[in-house]
Amino acid sequence: MSKREKRKHGGAAMQHGAALDMAAWRARVESLLAAGQTRAAVEAAKQCGKQCPGPAADTLVVLAYQARIQALIASGLAKEAQALCEVVSERFPACRDRLVPLVRRSELLTGNFEPLLRELLTAEGPRQRELEAILSRELTDPAIVADSPILPHEHSLKRAAGAVRDLFIAVTTGPLPAGALAPLDSIPRRSPFAPWKLLIRALDAFYRHADADVLANLAGIPPEAGPARLAPVLRRLVSAEGETTPPSFTVTSLLEKVGGPWVTVMAQLPQLSQALAARDERRALAAVRALVPVFDGTPAATRRTFLATLLQQWARHDLPPQGLLRLLPRRAKDLDVVRLSAIATERVDWEVALELWDQYLRAAIATGALSATGPATARVLLHMAALFPEELEEIYDLFDVDSGAELQKLIQSGALPPCYDRGQLLARARTAEPAPQVFRALIAHYDPWDPQRAEGEAETWRRAHPQDVEPVLYLARAAERRGALRKALDLVAEAEALNRVHPEVRQRRFRLLLASAERRIKDGRALLALADLERVAQEPRASEGDLPAYVFALRWAATTRGGDAAAATELEHTLATTIENPVLRELVVSAVARAVGLSSQPSSAGASPLVALDGLARACELFRLLERPFTAPAALLTQVEQALETASAAQLYALCRGGMALGRPALTYLAAGQGLMQDNPLMHRFLLARGQVLQAALWEQGRAQACLRAARELAARARDMDAVREASAALATRVAWGGLPPILRGMLLEPEESLSPDYVTTVLTTERQHHALPRFPREKGARKRTTRRPRRSRQRFDGLLDLLEGNL
Amino acid sequence: MNPFAVLGLDETADDDAVRAAYLTALRQSPPDRDPEGFRRIREAYDALRDHERRLALRLFGPPPLADIEALRELASTERRYVGPGPWLTVLREPRR
Repeated sequence: MSKREKRKHGGAAMQHGAALDMAAWRARVESLLAAGQTRAAVEAAKQCGKQCPGPAADTLVVLAYQARIQALIASGLAKEAQALCEVVSERFPACRDRLVPLVRRSELLTGNFEPLLRELLTAEGPRQRELEAILSRELTDPAIVADSPILPHEHSLKRAAGAVRDLFIAVTTGPLPAGALAPLDSIPRRSPFAPWKLLIRALDAFYRHADADVLANLAGIPPEAGPARLAPVLRRLVSAEGETTPPSFTVTSLLEKVGGPWVTVMAQLPQLSQALAARDERRALAAVRALVPVFDGTPAATRRTFLATLLQQWARHDLPPQGLLRLLPRRAKDLDVVRLSAIATERVDWEVALELWDQYLRAAIATGALSATGPATARVLLHMAALFPEELEEIYDLFDVDSGAELQKLIQSGALPPCYDRGQLLARARTAEPAPQVFRALIAHYDPWDPQRAEGEAETWRRAHPQDVEPVLYLARAAERRGALRKALDLVAEAEALNRVHPEVRQRRFRLLLASAERRIKDGRALLALADLERVAQEPRASEGDLPAYVFALRWAATTRGGDAAAATELEHTLATTIENPVLRELVVSAVARAVGLSSQPSSAGASPLVALDGLARACELFRLLERPFTAPAALLTQVEQALETASAAQLYALCRGGMALGRPALTYLAAGQGLMQDNPLMHRFLLARGQVLQAALWEQGRAQACLRAARELAARARDMDAVREASAALATRVAWGGLPPILRGMLLEPEESLSPDYVTTVLTTERQHHALPRFPREKGARKRTTRRPRRSRQRFDGLLDLLEGNL
Repeated sequence: MNPFAVLGLDETADDDAVRAAYLTALRQSPPDRDPEGFRRIREAYDALRDHERRLALRLFGPPPLADIEALRELASTERRYVGPGPWLTVLREPRR
């Protein structure tokens, strides 16, 4: 104690000294000891000894010293404790016996086991067990016993200590050969070295990566045994739960030496995860600060996965990105940071992502990471073009313009960067690589609002890839759309020459001939129409399902138009016998009449529910094959919806699809529900239809997803790959991750794990019990913008682009 | 996991290198002895087997892991032998 402190403590005692008797001193010392103030207690006791000398005072002083020595031992100051023991023993020889246990303990703590071992040589019975327990508790290095001259070589403890010492060195120094731990088997379970045996086995398991064995061996070590001090360290190293106290300096040092920097990662990841969940940016940044240097030293692939995960989670938890980006490494190769930031931002803000991709592309070309032309640049440009919202109005709203022309003006004036010109991005992609997918994107871009430009792109595609059937088919569709049916048929002939088995090629000619016949009937050229219908009849598809009925109805229409009343009446009569179902007949005749401009009289009023159901189901299937829209009277739809219990699986499935084509989601919902009640091989199709229709319902997205996932699983089991694709496509529309290539979209958002049979059964049971119709929104009319939507706040991203620009 | 990392490949690897790395990895984790390892290797190979997929992965990947704690998967499994010294230092530390 310093003189200043002595004066302080002693001074306080002196103040009271004159008035204190022995009892008061004792009370004072005991009160200080009770408060854990051992140093002050010693000073007070010494003052007492000066003022009231005698055996009582000596006893009080020794009592205070005992407490002080214990405190020093508890603090790990064993040598200091030992020295103090010696001083007190010399000064108060009468009290030496009371100090013996403390002397022993401080000796042990300084590694001096000789007195204990000497006594152990002759001790027996309970005393021997007591000494062995002390040895087990206090021994922290087996070499002390193994190298001790006190024990003879043949002593069992010395042999056990030697084996433990050698194996402890071996197991921590390098891989052990098989059977190297055999000497441990000779150490009995009651030996003071039994905990060491378990520790060495745990260490061996640790280096063999057998983490379960590590924990099992550690569990056998008594917590008071010396080797138990390493248990928390090993548990940390195998990432076992339960170690919450911060490690000491020596433990941290050992962890880093053995586990390398990954120990930091293991410690920081839970911190980061919790901070993100709590949206605590400060804590999250602190964890990232510790993680970045570790991952910075890893291979590029590992580092990129770290960055991708970190940036995505940051965006997912809606934390502002600036602080994070400042922590990330700033080196020339860190184009990755910009690229991965762009990907992470896509889910939150497409226009910021677009500008980030633009920055990436410019920097990558400038640094030579990407060439100005080539497939990689084309893919990035296509990806950027895919980020734009599907609705043009959404883009116009965002930039407060009314048309594409106004948007172009903003771009040309420099108010917006050129990357906002989607057509320009696609044109650049075409220059970079005139590949089919680029042309496909260009046509999809121009088709809705500039069909002429779209056709021009298809012509360029046809010239660049003369063997591709796709541009020819697009040109055929475009020709059909503007009424150039002859040209369309010529193009179909060209497509047939390129690929006769292409499904669209096979169907297109049939549809074009029907369209040609309809046109000619409408134009009053009945003979030519009948000639077309003759050609239609020769097509292989003409005999599929109820298609002959439709062709027959067209023939009746052509004859009626041609003015041959007798023939028309005869055909009308034949029509009634050919299409025996009056509901189907009425739907077909009314559709044909509407197509060619004739009037038709309804004739099926009062049809039985069975006839109505059969007629509507067949009409749904017929018009699906024709890819034609059709309408059905509301009364008929209601009648059929009430008669679904009698329908077959095929009829129900036709009605499911027809309901969607008719814009009648209730029909689809009810038909799918009825289909689910039956045990039939189309179960996955009914579940798929229900999922699809629920996507259109209000507040039923959870059910929709469950149905679609279960439908996909059932379809996969039934090997119905079309249904699998349809379900996957429907699920993909639920996630706002539009632009990514399908391969990555699948990796990120569509885990393909098999669902448990329980999941599928639960979904089926739930859907079978849902009879009430969900709320479907009314059919959307043409969009009418009355008020401008305020521009989205981009405060979260303020400075982000500049920050990343500085990074490049 | 990053498929390039699973197969220990550089991002510039070509078809032959991918195939060779796949076969090497397969020998280390055959499906009968290490089904989980085989599944990871197979998925990585599927993601890298053609140029188009590798390009997509290079430009738009790697796929982020499901959550932050999944980054543990990236941790090195190396456990270094440091001799008895550092272990004994911890053993000698007074109990807390």
